[in-house]
Amino acid sequence: MIRDITLGQYYRGESFIHDLDPRTKIVCTLVYIIMLFIAGTFWGLAFSALCLGVTVAVSKVPPAFIFRGLKPVFLIILFTFVLNMFMYDGKIIFELGFLHVTEEGLHKAFFMAARLILLIIGSSLLTLTTRPIGLTDGIESLLKPLNKIGVPSHELAMMMTIALRFIPTLLEETDKIMKAQQARGADFETGNIFSRARKLIPILVPLFISAFRIAQDMAMAMEARCYRGGEGRTRMNGMKMTAKDGVAWILIVLFAAALICERILLA
Amino acid sequence: MNTKKIIQAAIIGSVYAVLTIVLAPVSYGPVQVRVSEAMTVMPAFTPAAVPGLFIGCFVANILGPYGIVDIVCGSFATLAAALVSRRLRDRPFLVPLPPVVFNGIIVGSMLHFAYGVPGLWACMGWVALGQAVACYALGMPLMKLLDRYRSVLE
Amino acid sequence: MTIVVENLKHTYSPGSPEESLALNGVSFEVADGESLGIIGHTGSGKTTLLQHLNGLLKPDSGTITVNGTVITGDAEKEDVLMVRKKVGFVFQYPEYQLFEETVEKDVAFGPRNLELPEEEIKRRVRWALEMVGLDYDDIKDDSPFNLSGGQKRRVAIAGVIAMEPEVLILDEPTAGLDPKAHDDILAMIGDIHKKTGNINILVSHNMNDVTRFCDKILVMDRGQKVLYGTPGEVFSETEKLLAMGLDLPDGAHIAHRLRKEGMDLPDDILTIDQLEREILKAKGRE
Repeated sequence: MIRDITLGQYYRGESFIHDLDPRTKIVCTLVYIIMLFIAGTFWGLAFSALCLGVTVAVSKVPPAFIFRGLKPVFLIILFTFVLNMFMYDGKIIFELGFLHVTEEGLHKAFFMAARLILLIIGSSLLTLTTRPIGLTDGIESLLKPLNKIGVPSHELAMMMTIALRFIPTLLEETDKIMKAQQARGADFETGNIFSRARKLIPILVPLFISAFRIAQDMAMAMEARCYRGGEGRTRMNGMKMTAKDGVAWILIVLFAAALICERILLA
Repeated sequence: MNTKKIIQAAIIGSVYAVLTIVLAPVSYGPVQVRVSEAMTVMPAFTPAAVPGLFIGCFVANILGPYGIVDIVCGSFATLAAALVSRRLRDRPFLVPLPPVVFNGIIVGSMLHFAYGVPGLWACMGWVALGQAVACYALGMPLMKLLDRYRSVLE
Repeated sequence: MTIVVENLKHTYSPGSPEESLALNGVSFEVADGESLGIIGHTGSGKTTLLQHLNGLLKPDSGTITVNGTVITGDAEKEDVLMVRKKVGFVFQYPEYQLFEETVEKDVAFGPRNLELPEEEIKRRVRWALEMVGLDYDDIKDDSPFNLSGGQKRRVAIAGVIAMEPEVLILDEPTAGLDPKAHDDILAMIGDIHKKTGNINILVSHNMNDVTRFCDKILVMDRGQKVLYGTPGEVFSETEKLLAMGLDLPDGAHIAHRLRKEGMDLPDDILTIDQLEREILKAKGRE
């Protein structure tokens, strides 16, 4: 049951994109998203879609996985599209009773939907090509400068790493606890939301207690190995920028420039 | 920050993420009622819950199907809310309120401005509603529960 | 009460890259009141087999018959629930399932799920706690989290036997215990078995334990039943067991080594006491 859950979105593969430093990918994704909001016309979106398409092809991630990322947002996209269609005043195209579809509305609906799709696919690509651990390392590195204003980047990164590391362990614990209580006759499948929430108590309490027990053991283990915090720590597998990252940086700057031009000239 | 606090925070984050993942269908859909959001009452019990919930939300979003906008907005909303909840720890009825307000405003704005869902107030209201169910209907009982086991947890 | 398992097969995650055949056609029977020991390495399919016996898993093919109720791949929910009520399962490190505020409430959880009347529940809680060697009046209002490790485990076991199952499955009940607690818990289990007369299924890595407490032993390896019989029968297959990487009970182990060195000892030695007697006999013959 719980065994069948695959954690995270990472798709193992070998490609130019997979090889990029996580920091490069994070920054590029952020720039890409910001540019999506700077785009003023369909030309901007079309250009973004083209660049995205090329990037997806280079990443060698099968299209099925790319579109899987759209499934949960599908309803939101549909909802947004329909609402936008009816909400704007202007030149009426056709009427459905008291609802009218205008040219402006249709334009807005398509624009918003397209932008949303490009947004989701773009950020899916980040999580599809970067391991969660890579993401946390990248974020820690990017947050380092903020140490100066009191953001404890190392501690936060350590928390993220430990949290990620323990998710499979806690999932197993949860599975064991669920089975043990089911063997004592607990039934988690029937009832409305409130009664089901109460039935979760025999799982939640042991889970919390197990989690704290693991935390205590781990703290002792780390201190026994002289862990003292972030000062002066070095890594075994450091992140290194290579020529490939250089290429990516140049491309993203060009992309951003193109979209800024589009905005200024066309919108 | 000592080792024990770091690990406590990490484990709280891990539990939050695990609860979100296990109850996936309800956690990541458009009608988001994240049972794990009931955990937003935890800052009333330990300060480690403030970074803990932030990390938990962050990790749950990384592992989930939503994009970077969600990752950033949701996590920061959770962090801001946790900080305020901690301040309100002496007033049990107000503890679940910050997550409702912050998530409503921040995530609601995200839905409107980034995802293009029309009606800013409607978006904020919708998110706040989902949060209210998780934080009050499930969170208050959780608070009572944690209170009874307080001695065990410390 | 009898259990009949016929040609049980089970595959995890069929059709995915993680597909693994856990059980490959296992068949055996357990007679009324019998105590069965199951041994095998991690990954041999023991846990999967156990989870079929109490309805937590459904077979892909084959059948499990618990006292006449047949469970197949498409069994009805009522049948599965009925099996779960009759078959009690004590998981490894059962103390991790404790959650209630008092010992009494926790032990009552199982019976309460059976929807029994309050008085019956109370009676069972008292009985179960006494069966595991704890004083009901003394301990009933304590928080389970304030008890010692050994007491916690006893409370957890009480929680299962309070459901009065006709079959009791115990997955490594002595895991993590020091030698004295180990012996105490096993003695307690043997005692419960005698007093209730139900079927006992014990999973263990300790060959001495299964020799002492089990009428029959089932050896699992890579999803299949490789050996089945009385302890004497099973442990005389020394070469097969050692080839599987499994151990022998102490007496048998030493006897095996002595036989290799040329000493003339019978095949069916299992315990140290038997070993002692046979060595003296052999020496007497010289």
